Amino acid sequence: MILGIFYARFFPQEGISPHLISSSIPYAHLSASSHSPPGPKIVAQSPPGCITASASSSSSGNNTTTTTTNNNNNNTHNSNNNNNNNNNSPLVDFDVLQEYIIPRQAFCNRFISINSPDGKYTILGFPVVIPHTKYMRNEFIFNFGLLVDADCDQAPFESVVRCLAETFAEMEKQNEYLSLSEAKGPEDDSIRRPIESLLEIVKEDLNNYGECMIPVDEANIINMKLFPHHATPPVVKGWHVPVARTKFPEIVDPTWDITLQKVVAKIDGVSDVRRIAHEACVSLDLAKIAIRHLLYYDTILLLDIFFFSSCYAPRPGIHDFIRNVDGIVDECAGYVSHGRARVSNYLLIRFMASFSPGKSIKEWIMNHRDSGFEIMSYIDIRRFVQFGVIKGCLYRVHKYVVSKQYLASLATGQSRPLAGGDPLQKYTDGCHHMDQIMTEQNLTNDQVMDRLKMLPVPRGDITVFYR
Amino acid sequence: MSCVNDENFVAVALVINRSRDGPAFVFHYPSHVPALTNGHEKSDVIDIEDILSEQIAQPAGDAPEPAEDGGVRDDHYTTEAGVQVVPWEHVAGFPARDLAGILTPARPYHKKIFQLSLDPLLCISYPIHVPENGKWKKTKKANKEVDDNIAPDEPNPPATTKTEEKAKDGKRDESDEDKRSSMTMFNLVFFLNPKRHEAKELVDSLFSNIVKKVNKAYQYSQQHSEFVWKESKRILAAKEKAREDKKKMSALWRELIQNSSLAASMCEVYNAISQNRIATLHLDTVDGILTPSVQIPVPFFVADLPAEDDERHRGLWLTTSNAFLSQDALEEPGFLDRNFALLLMDDEKKIIAELQNDRDPTTLSMIEFVRLAKPTVSFYQVGQSNILTLDQVRKYAQHFIFWRRAIAIPPLHPRDVYIVSPNCDLERLPQDAQDWQRAFPLAPPLSTFLAELSVLPRPYKHISPSKAHRPLYLRMLAWLMRGGWVTQLCTFAYVVVWPEILYEVDYEMEAEELGIATSSVDGGDATSVHTTQENLDAQSTHSSLTSPLSQPQQPPQETPPETHPPSQSPDHAPNNNPSTTLSAAEHSAEMARLERIAIKAHREAADKATAHARKVAPVPTPNPSLNDAPHLAGLTPHIILDPKKAAGKESRYLAAIARRFRDDKLRDGWQLLCKYFDGRCALERIALQEDMKRREAWALLTGMREYLLLTRHW
Repeated sequence: MILGIFYARFFPQEGISPHLISSSIPYAHLSASSHSPPGPKIVAQSPPGCITASASSSSSGNNTTTTTTNNNNNNTHNSNNNNNNNNNSPLVDFDVLQEYIIPRQAFCNRFISINSPDGKYTILGFPVVIPHTKYMRNEFIFNFGLLVDADCDQAPFESVVRCLAETFAEMEKQNEYLSLSEAKGPEDDSIRRPIESLLEIVKEDLNNYGECMIPVDEANIINMKLFPHHATPPVVKGWHVPVARTKFPEIVDPTWDITLQKVVAKIDGVSDVRRIAHEACVSLDLAKIAIRHLLYYDTILLLDIFFFSSCYAPRPGIHDFIRNVDGIVDECAGYVSHGRARVSNYLLIRFMASFSPGKSIKEWIMNHRDSGFEIMSYIDIRRFVQFGVIKGCLYRVHKYVVSKQYLASLATGQSRPLAGGDPLQKYTDGCHHMDQIMTEQNLTNDQVMDRLKMLPVPRGDITVFYR
Repeated sequence: MSCVNDENFVAVALVINRSRDGPAFVFHYPSHVPALTNGHEKSDVIDIEDILSEQIAQPAGDAPEPAEDGGVRDDHYTTEAGVQVVPWEHVAGFPARDLAGILTPARPYHKKIFQLSLDPLLCISYPIHVPENGKWKKTKKANKEVDDNIAPDEPNPPATTKTEEKAKDGKRDESDEDKRSSMTMFNLVFFLNPKRHEAKELVDSLFSNIVKKVNKAYQYSQQHSEFVWKESKRILAAKEKAREDKKKMSALWRELIQNSSLAASMCEVYNAISQNRIATLHLDTVDGILTPSVQIPVPFFVADLPAEDDERHRGLWLTTSNAFLSQDALEEPGFLDRNFALLLMDDEKKIIAELQNDRDPTTLSMIEFVRLAKPTVSFYQVGQSNILTLDQVRKYAQHFIFWRRAIAIPPLHPRDVYIVSPNCDLERLPQDAQDWQRAFPLAPPLSTFLAELSVLPRPYKHISPSKAHRPLYLRMLAWLMRGGWVTQLCTFAYVVVWPEILYEVDYEMEAEELGIATSSVDGGDATSVHTTQENLDAQSTHSSLTSPLSQPQQPPQETPPETHPPSQSPDHAPNNNPSTTLSAAEHSAEMARLERIAIKAHREAADKATAHARKVAPVPTPNPSLNDAPHLAGLTPHIILDPKKAAGKESRYLAAIARRFRDDKLRDGWQLLCKYFDGRCALERIALQEDMKRREAWALLTGMREYLLLTRHW
C-alpha cells in the first residue's frame, strides 16, 4: 500500500556561478525558484500534505513552488484545496528527511530508502542527477519517491521507484519534461498532465489494481506492475515427487512453454521427477527446471517417493491432527476414503498417531490387521501418508548406507580409495539416501543392496542406518 | 534467528558530528571495504527496466575513484590533476566525508533505529546525541543507573572512587567546556549487504542484539569519561598525520587498533559478530576498564524439522522440550529445575582448566558446579547435593548457557529411548566419526552405533552391553547429544474414552434425570412438588397435574411463554397478576390447556423412562476397548484433549475411567497423572516432575495404557 508519492527537486542557489547561467539557454524556470529559498523542495505530492504541508495549509514561503506548479492547472489546485481540509499534518518531517530525499551527489543515481525517526514509515526514492550545462549549476537533481509503511514488503515498490526515476530522467533528457513544466505558464501546458495529478493516478492505480498504464505525453507511457517477491525455490532433485496444488488442466494454455506443458501433463502425485522426465520425453535437467519454475509460483509441492517398505514417523505437527485443528481430520477423511463407509475421525487419528520410527508402512498395516482392522480396504494408504507428510504430521525416515572405510578416507583427506571404481561408492558417505541412489542409478532397493554387498570392502564395513 | 556472516555484514564504522567542525568519519573496520556490486544477488530480478536503470546509474560526480575495479588500495597515490588520494577516504565505494554527512542523522533519530539503504549497502545504527543541555556527563545520581548492555555475569563497571580527581575534572570541565565537548553526536554504523529475503530478519536480530547494545555501551563510556570523544580525537589526529606521512593504510590500522581501545573494540565487534561469536569489548576508559559483551544468541534447538534446504538449522538439537512448555509450567516453581540438566558443550576438563586460570573467588564454586552438573542429573538434584544451593546452580547454569559453553537438556537416562536425529548434519559424519573414535577408542564406530540406535527404537540401556558399561555409554550419549546426532524419542498421550464408558456415563446421566422425575411421580405430595419445581421446567408442569389442588396458588407464569394461545390479546399480560383479570371461562380454558401440556409432558417422560428401561444396562467389561457389544455400535471413541480443562461430560468420563481401575494405586495415580495426558508433556518426564521412581511411574502408565492414545516423537 502506497501511503504517499512525491516529486522532489533540488533548487540551487542563484547567483553563485553567473557565467554559467548566462551561458545557458535563457529558461524562465529560474523564475520558479526565484521566489523561494534554495534547497530541496517537494514540488508535487499525493495525497497533498503527506510529506510537506500543502500550499493552502501553510503560509510559509517554502511552498511557493508547489503553488506555481498547481497554478499550471486550476483543477488540481482546487482538488488540493478540497483534500487539504481532511488531511493536514504531514506524515513525516521533511526537514529531517530531506537529506536522504535529495542526498549528496555521491549517493545519487541509486535506490535509497530511509525509515522515519518514529519507525512507522519508510521513504523509498531514487535521486537522479542529470548533468548538463543548460541547467543552473550545471545539473538537474530530482527524486520521485514513495512513502510506505515501514513493515510492508518493500521489494515490489523498489521497481516502481526505479521505473519512475528512469522514465522521468529519460523524458527530461529528451524534451525537458520536468524543467519545462516548472518554467512555462498554463497556456503552453494544456496537452500535458500536471505531475501532481499524474502521481495521484499512479498511486491510486497501484494501490487498487497493482498495476498502472498512464500516458504521460504523446511519446511516453508509464507502465508498471507490482510483483510480489518470491523466495528462490529449492533445487529440484530427481527423486522428488511433485504434487499439484492447482488444477493445471484449467490453467495450462497453448502459449505456455512446450517443455513445461509436457512436464505438467505427467504430474500425478506418484511419479518422481526422473520418471516424469522419462515419460514426457524431456531431458532430466529440463524437467527439473520446469518443475522448479512451478515451485517458484507455489503451484506444486515436492514429496518423496512412496514405497510400502519405507518408514514414516510423527513429528510435532501430529498434535494438530489429533486436535482436529481447522477440521484437518475431516479434510483427510475426504481425501483418503475409498468411497465406501467414511472412516471415523478417531480411527484416522489412531492410524496417524501410530506411525513410529523403525516401523515400515508394511509393518504398520500388519499391526493394525493384527488388532482387527484392515486399513487397506478403507483408506488409500498412499494418500493417507502423503496427506500426513504435506500437513507436517509425518516425516519420511530415510535409509542411508555408510562405508566406514570410505568415511575414514574422507576424514583424513586421502585420495579416495577405488577412484573410478564402483559407482555406488560415492553414495556411501552418509549424505545420500536410498531414494537418491535408486533414482540416480536406476536400480531397486534390493539391487542396490546386492551391489553394495559386492563392494570389495572388509566384512561389516557397510552399515545401514535410518534418519 | 538470522545468520550473520562476513558476506552480509560488510563493515562497522564510527561517525561523529562536531559542533564546530561538522561530521567526521572516525574509523571503520575492516580497513578495506570495496565498493559493493549489486549485480550478484539481484540477478534473479533483472529485466529490461533494470538494465535501463543501470544506464542512468552511472557514477554521478567527478569524484576520483581510487580503484576502478572496486578494490581498495593500501597506499596513497596522486591523480593526474595532482590530488592526493588517501586510501581510507573511500569506504564501500563512497567518499568517507559524504558518508560522514549522511550518517549523522538529526536529533529526531536519537536512540532510534536509523536504517538507510544506499543500494546495495544497508546501514543500520542507533545514533546517540548529546543531551539537550549540551553536556555528555550525567549528574551524579544518574551515574548509578545500571546499564543494560553489561552482560549479566559481568561485574558492574568499576565505580569511580577517586572523588578528589573527579572534583578536579569537574572544574576543568567548566573552564574549557566548548573545547572539550564539541562532539554533538556519535553513531556506530553497521554496514550490511543482505540478500533480499534475509534483510528484515538480519536487521532485526543485529539491531536488537548488537547495534543498540554497543552504541549504549559507548554512550555509557562517553557519559562517564568522554571516552568516545577523546578516542575519536586521537584517531582523527593520527589519521591526519598519516595522511601527511603517506602512511600505508594497513600500517595505520594496525597502529590504531593497538593504541586505541575504541578502535580495537570495533575490530572485535566486527570480527566476533561476523563469525557469530560473542564479542567482548574492552573499553579502556580513564575511569577503568569496561568489558561489556554482546552476541546474537544462537538457537541451540529446533522444535520441528526444518525445510530440506534450510542450512542454518541443520544439525541443531531437535526437541519439543522447550517449545511445548506451557505458560503454566513455566510459572510453576521448580518446573525447569526438575526437567532440565546441564550439557557442557566442551570437554569438562578443558572447561575446568580454563576456570582455574581465573583467580576470581567464584570460580571455585563454579568448578564444583561443572563437576557436579552432569547431563544425567537435573538442576534440582544438583541443588540437593548440599554443596551448592539451588540459586547458585541456576545462576551458574545461566552463566554457562549465556557463554555458549553449555545447553540445558532434559536429563539423560538409560531407560529413555534415543533415536538418530532426523536433523543431524550428515556432512559432518566423516569428521565426527574420527573424533568419536578418538574420544571413545573402544566403542563401536560411530556409523555402527548410529545404525544400532536407528534400527529399532528401544531404551538406551539395551544398547549397552552390560551394567558396568552404563556410565561410559551415557558419556557417549552426551557426546552424541552435543553434536545433535541423537534426540530423545518421547511419548505423548491423550485420554481415549471408549464407547463402553461413553455409554455408561450417558446412561447414568439419563437415569439421574429420570430418577428425579420418577420420584416426583411416586410421591405426589406437596413437598416433592416443590423440589421438582425448582429442578426442571418440564417436571414442574407435570407436577401441576399431580396436585391439582394447589392450582390457584400456582401462577400460570410457570408455563413457557411460547405456549400461550394465539387468541390471547397482546396487551393481556398473564404475568402481571393474572388471578384478578381471569374470567371464569378463561380460567377453565387455561386449566384445560395446562392439563393437556401436563399430560403430554408426562407421556414423554414415561416414554423416556420406558426407552431407558429398554436400553441395555451398561455392563463394565475388563477391557472396554475390546467391547464390541451391539448397543455400542454407533459410538466412536472420544478423545479428551486436555484433562486439566475437562468439564461437564468430559470430567464424568474421567471419573468413570477412574472407577474402572480396581487397584487403588492406579486409581489415585489416574487422578494424579491425568494432567499430563494433554499431548504436550512427555510421559518420560513425569517421574522427574512428580519425584517418583521411574519404574513406578511406568508401572502406573502401563496400567492406564488402555485409556491412552499414544504418539511418539522428539
